[in-house]
Amino acid sequence: MIHNRLSVFRAERNLSRKDLAEAVGVNPQTIGYLERGDYAPSVELALKLAALFEVPVEHLFSLKPFAPLATSLRDPES
Amino acid sequence: MFIRSKTRPFGRQLSTPLVRTLLIALYTLYPLGCILQLMPMTSGGGVMASLAGLALVVGAIGIFAVLAGSSLQRQTQEPENLLDERERIERNRASFQAHSVFSGIVLIGVLYMMLTTDMAANDKLHLWQPTEGAHWNAIFGGLILLSFTLPGAILAFGKTPPEMD
Repeated sequence: MIHNRLSVFRAERNLSRKDLAEAVGVNPQTIGYLERGDYAPSVELALKLAALFEVPVEHLFSLKPFAPLATSLRDPES
Repeated sequence: MFIRSKTRPFGRQLSTPLVRTLLIALYTLYPLGCILQLMPMTSGGGVMASLAGLALVVGAIGIFAVLAGSSLQRQTQEPENLLDERERIERNRASFQAHSVFSGIVLIGVLYMMLTTDMAANDKLHLWQPTEGAHWNAIFGGLILLSFTLPGAILAFGKTPPEMD
């Protein structure tokens, strides 16, 4: 399973699923499936999303669950 | 079959419970309507049964028309370049499963015909067989409805789509 922080990044940018979907050329439902963890994106889509949020792809997607945001802020190394 | 309207090029978004209900109604009303309509007089058929059957078949076709314009049907019928990667993967999986189910149904039908013909020839058992053009029309109509809607039904009874914000 691939974990992601898509909803966090999307909320931070104040983007709707429709906006994000249009920016990367997918159906808005696909963004919903990604956020829910029901769909693992292709490398191309993962790279497009990472480029859109201007972060390395591993900040957005991970094979291991991401630490909660509060923990990440307290301990940036986590 | 996907009927694209000018106002909704991506199809009408129907809720998953509604699509599931429509599909169950379609798969129930059409065969029931055909049975009522084609039931011989000797088995309780008559003008009223025939009219009720016709009404059910017309209802099933109406349901099919609603489904034909839905976004779910678009996903199963749209050219590949107009779908995104998730839609293509899901469509291919659903098409494969639908093909298996459809082939299984046709195989069961052929086996049934073979056995009933054989048993009738040996005067062992006389089960129903299609004998008139109207019987075959009903069967082919049902198979056409099924082949058009089965991939969409497999998608509809799979994962529930996420709520939109």
